[in-house]
Amino acid sequence: MLFYLIKRLALGVVIVMLAVTLLFCMIHLVPGDPARILLGPRATPELIASMSARMGLDQPLPIQILLFFGNLFRGDLGMDVITNRPVADMVFGQLPYTLWLIFTAIGFAMVIGIPLGCYSALHRNTLIDRVTGVLSVACITVPAFVVALYSLLIFAVTLNWFPAVGAGEQGDFWDQARHIVLPALAIGLSWIGYLARLVRASMLEVMGENHIRTARAYGLPERVVVFRYALKLAVLPTVTVIGVGMGFLLSAALFTEIVFARPGIGKLIFDSITTRNYPVVMGSVLVSTVLFVISTTLSDLVNAWLDPRIRSSL
Amino acid sequence: MHKKQQNKLIRNPDRRQFLQTSGALGFAAAAGALPQIVYAQGKKILKVRAYADMRSLDPALSQGITDEEIHSCIYSKLIQYKPGREWGWQLDAAESIEQLDDTHIKFKLKQGIMFTNGYGEMTAEDVKYSFERILDEKVESTNKPDWGSLKEVVIDGKYEGTIVFDEPYPPAWNIALPYIVGNIVCKKAWEEAGGRIDTTTPCGSGPYMHKEWQPKQKTILARNPDWHGGTAAFDEIQILPIDDENTAQIAFESGDIDYTRVSLSAVVNLKASPPENSTVEDYPSLYYVWVGMNVENEVTSNQNLRKAIQHCIDVPSILQASYFGAAGAATGIIAPGLIGHREKSMVPPTADITKAKEYLAAAGMDSASVTLDVLNKAANVTTAQVIQAICAQAGINVDVNLHESGAFWSLGDKSAGERYKDVQLILNRFSMAPDPSYATAWFVTDQRGIWNWEWYSDAEFDKLEAAAKANSDQAARHQMYQKMQDMMEESGAYRFITHEATPVIYRNTIKPAFRPDGLPLLRNFSAA
Repeated sequence: MLFYLIKRLALGVVIVMLAVTLLFCMIHLVPGDPARILLGPRATPELIASMSARMGLDQPLPIQILLFFGNLFRGDLGMDVITNRPVADMVFGQLPYTLWLIFTAIGFAMVIGIPLGCYSALHRNTLIDRVTGVLSVACITVPAFVVALYSLLIFAVTLNWFPAVGAGEQGDFWDQARHIVLPALAIGLSWIGYLARLVRASMLEVMGENHIRTARAYGLPERVVVFRYALKLAVLPTVTVIGVGMGFLLSAALFTEIVFARPGIGKLIFDSITTRNYPVVMGSVLVSTVLFVISTTLSDLVNAWLDPRIRSSL
Repeated sequence: MHKKQQNKLIRNPDRRQFLQTSGALGFAAAAGALPQIVYAQGKKILKVRAYADMRSLDPALSQGITDEEIHSCIYSKLIQYKPGREWGWQLDAAESIEQLDDTHIKFKLKQGIMFTNGYGEMTAEDVKYSFERILDEKVESTNKPDWGSLKEVVIDGKYEGTIVFDEPYPPAWNIALPYIVGNIVCKKAWEEAGGRIDTTTPCGSGPYMHKEWQPKQKTILARNPDWHGGTAAFDEIQILPIDDENTAQIAFESGDIDYTRVSLSAVVNLKASPPENSTVEDYPSLYYVWVGMNVENEVTSNQNLRKAIQHCIDVPSILQASYFGAAGAATGIIAPGLIGHREKSMVPPTADITKAKEYLAAAGMDSASVTLDVLNKAANVTTAQVIQAICAQAGINVDVNLHESGAFWSLGDKSAGERYKDVQLILNRFSMAPDPSYATAWFVTDQRGIWNWEWYSDAEFDKLEAAAKANSDQAARHQMYQKMQDMMEESGAYRFITHEATPVIYRNTIKPAFRPDGLPLLRNFSAA
């Protein structure tokens, strides 16, 4: 298990380094002088040159990459050339908003999706199962931006139940909770459908397996059979999907942060790209990649923890 | 029997769970709503939308309108823009200010203007420091051009001084004194901070003080109790960065903000049925949109072809399709209300296909094929499609190339490779400050391959541009700028489309204040 963890972490480091190198190359392929775009039309050539130097763009590409990793190993993500703040401060200042959004959305999807899938599987081919099936597919197919816009129009404008923009007052939990509902719904709705279908299929498969039949033959209460033996195995694919889906959730968070004018790492990346503020782009993407690697590693570990067969194969 | 038991076991916990969850969520929503109402009733808070987040609190490093909206609230200037439909200024920190001669402006500060945080009284020394530091190479201010030919500020007394220019600079009254570079900072505080500041400010002297910046979320300004102008209207102003205009409109309709600019596409509907207790207004904008033609390109170097294209482009159709009838036709690059604005363009806004065909024949062509480079935004794409359709009627095929912003803004940049040579037609949009020199500066010969992507060059134009900027006779300036636009149009390299518009919506509980181009003057907002 420990060896497996070390192996995964080493692989994670390689993935992060590759992603960052790729990003550096992409930045150089984009036409236009970033310093000039950042400073606007009235910047003098001297100012542009000075800004290029501050962004490290006056160096050859391999040197830029080496310098970035060199600084990274010292825990320095660089400085934002616009606000003159450390990139790390900016990224870690925005990260909690994105994590709070992602975890609320996925928590919301799990709380509704998993019981729904379980319920459907245990009531297979009934009317409720069919209705749940149709609703789940509908949730999956409706694009997040449609959910976002309609939820804004219905719940923020018409009913005035929830605020439309922002993340709420700092330090006021309830205000922040009210601000998270609609963005989390926008991201989480498709996951409800997805998880419901996944758990239903998985549950049906597990319920037909020998060990379930054996448990029933021993006279174990159905509640124990379902929750302790069947559901535990049926949620395994869900854990994997959520781990891998972290990347999708991050990109969905980007869109949601723009529509709901919420702070977050997605919005930080978007704003930095549009202003060509590359030190911030690099720092933000690096942290997002690390986040992705950690989430997939964690999902593997949770899988191993839940399923002894996987654990023994590590 | 077994199946029924199983169903019961599963169904019951689910229902309980559902009820518990719904109850908790309902309670959370209700409890969350309560503090907000109390909070809003306790303080007079103005919530407004800005299209971008704050970047810097240093006027020298300000990156445009969003920063200036904040700066104008927290700092004082000698003069400020006067709210209303016509351009003008009013006194702020200055008790008096006058143009002594072409190169000298004398001012006298009001006594007793105090900087916050105990930094003492504002003096002429602070004015000198604030203006001259913009010119300092070490400060690296991108706003330096706004001061034009500023030489120095001479201190004549504790509260008096003279602003001295190397040569006449009339734009000082329009784009320097009442705008970004006209903000007065405290010399002592800035020197203590090392000569420049970033996102926190040591002190200010305006009606509001900078209280807090929550990146990507809001900037909070609080009332300055010691403001020399009396009592500011609000306890707090919260400026929320919302990029998307549709989101901003939803935020307004849901009650999250009290004022926002709205999209042109929404204006007609909003005017027809505005949200309850709100007002919609529109102002002419200073932006200018035009189709430029590269006079150096092999194909578009033919002046008759360029003129054929000028006559093909039907501006009213573009205004209807792309701007929903909410914007007017432009007669040049200088917007209505500014010196140099032309009442009529030389080429009428409506397309004349017969004339276009005549020019095409004069160019020795039956048909032509050109490319049109466009920044990928909805209004631009629609405009390009309209141009494409109408040009086809005259036998001119237009291939539209869409670009994302990075690629687009480097298209005509000669330092970014050879791509600028391939530009034929380009749909462009520039912003400007309220002085004509701000618009014409980009079309001189020196700007070729920088911002002059048409590669237009005319020695007389260059001479006029330099002369108009330094001429203090407003009538003469007016004629010179009009002449410059005539020359641009005569070259065939430009087809002027629109200055767009600035539609705004605000709640009737507030009394907003705008510049003639619709930009908010937050320091002048008050409760209705």
